[in-house]
Amino acid sequence: MTLQQQIRSNRFRSGIVVLGFALLLLVLAGLIGLVLDVSLAIIVLAIAAAYGLFGLLSSRSMIAGMTGAQPLGPEDLKPLRRLVDNVSIGAGLPVTPELRIVDDPAPNAFAAGLRPAKSYVGVTTGLLQAMPKRELEAVIAHEISHIRNRDTYLMTMAVVFAGVIALIADIGFRSIAYGGRSRKAGGLVVVLAVVGFILAPFAALLLRMSLSRRREYLADAGAAEILSDPEAMALALRRLELDPTTIRYGNTSTAHLWVESPTDRVDSMRNGVLELSSWFNTHPPVKARIAALEDAGGFRLPERLPADTPFAAELGLDA
Amino acid sequence: MLWLWIVVGVVVVLGVVFVLGYNRLVRLRNEVDTGWANIDVQLQRRSDLIPNLVEAVRGYAAHERAVFDEVTKARAALQHAAGPGAAAEANEGLTVALGRLFAVAEAYPDLKASENFLQLQNDLTDTEDKISAARRYYNSTVMHFNTAIQSIPWVLVAKPLGFRDREFFSAAGDTELPQVSFSQAT
Repeated sequence: MTLQQQIRSNRFRSGIVVLGFALLLLVLAGLIGLVLDVSLAIIVLAIAAAYGLFGLLSSRSMIAGMTGAQPLGPEDLKPLRRLVDNVSIGAGLPVTPELRIVDDPAPNAFAAGLRPAKSYVGVTTGLLQAMPKRELEAVIAHEISHIRNRDTYLMTMAVVFAGVIALIADIGFRSIAYGGRSRKAGGLVVVLAVVGFILAPFAALLLRMSLSRRREYLADAGAAEILSDPEAMALALRRLELDPTTIRYGNTSTAHLWVESPTDRVDSMRNGVLELSSWFNTHPPVKARIAALEDAGGFRLPERLPADTPFAAELGLDA
Repeated sequence: MLWLWIVVGVVVVLGVVFVLGYNRLVRLRNEVDTGWANIDVQLQRRSDLIPNLVEAVRGYAAHERAVFDEVTKARAALQHAAGPGAAAEANEGLTVALGRLFAVAEAYPDLKASENFLQLQNDLTDTEDKISAARRYYNSTVMHFNTAIQSIPWVLVAKPLGFRDREFFSAAGDTELPQVSFSQAT
């Protein structure tokens, strides 16, 4: 598959996943209407809409708060900002995203924001200290492709959707459990509804995770294309894979944002028992991502990583 | 009657396909235009830096007139270049001329140490990096657009509809090929 085909098929699948979310939402509302009360179903949908809207509007500042990303002053880290500038020109973005720094020794980066013009890229200080310029560029290009492909938008939607579905399922479940008398239907329908309410949040979580994983492959391919250098992205991933530190702000609700998953460990794929857990991972295994880049770019990573100077030296940061 | 409906159905489907495809071509063409505007901004920035740079060097090496002339001419050529191919050619020419200017500057340690000169040199390098980033993006948009209008069925109607192949931003003898090689790898 060429990169363009990959991008197209990824977009198509993401569309299906979003559709899946919407269907799930309707099924839940329908169950509530069927088993309990139509007016309750409408109220619940209204609450869900309000909750969703609030989630979307506050996501930008919420993510900044959770990750601890700090904005920079106008004179700070100019070479790094220049690098972000150049990458976003290469990506054809009309506006360079803002740059924020997370003070954390684990090398990682993320992107956030609903619209490209209001998005920002966060990088950890650990990333600057680990990556040479070429690989740092690739990581930033990866984040910028998330912004360009509207992944940050889609993923925020997905997180909010998953939250809304969990909320509705909870309301439905409790209403059946505690509001016995108001039940309209009985027997099998109620059992089915209860099962539905219990399973829905898991289904939503699964959808959210699979969506997130597709987006990672797409952003890797995007980064390779922006820089015309697939090897840089693969090298950066290998370096991240070899790094033992995990991020302090590792939190499941923001896990999908980072370039390398901060929560699930890379080796969770090793034995068959843990296969199931990989369905719930936000990121595909790093090895698979490197292999995809190697196939697309027609190269093989060297055994040893190049020992170039980290970009932090150019910024005058202490190692 | 049935035949009539089939004909109507086919016409409607073809119409929808045509509208979608046409809009896609327009979108791709707009991306090419945006990509070109991005390069143009950076080229403009580069030529804006030249007079100051020439002045800075002239302050130390007034007698190197031939080099100054060459740089000034190369800058004018870049400003008057029409179209991406010509602009890339002229930009290449400016790079060569600047190379000579910097070679001259090498002989003057005071100049090389001066704050102003260092700043200009820095800005120039930055602009050159930005040109090459903008060029990567532009060339990939051109590739997508050209591929689209050269594929069946659009190759048949692209010309009458006013879609023409766009030029890559690359000078003759350029070894760095646009994206093609990577994007089309299996």
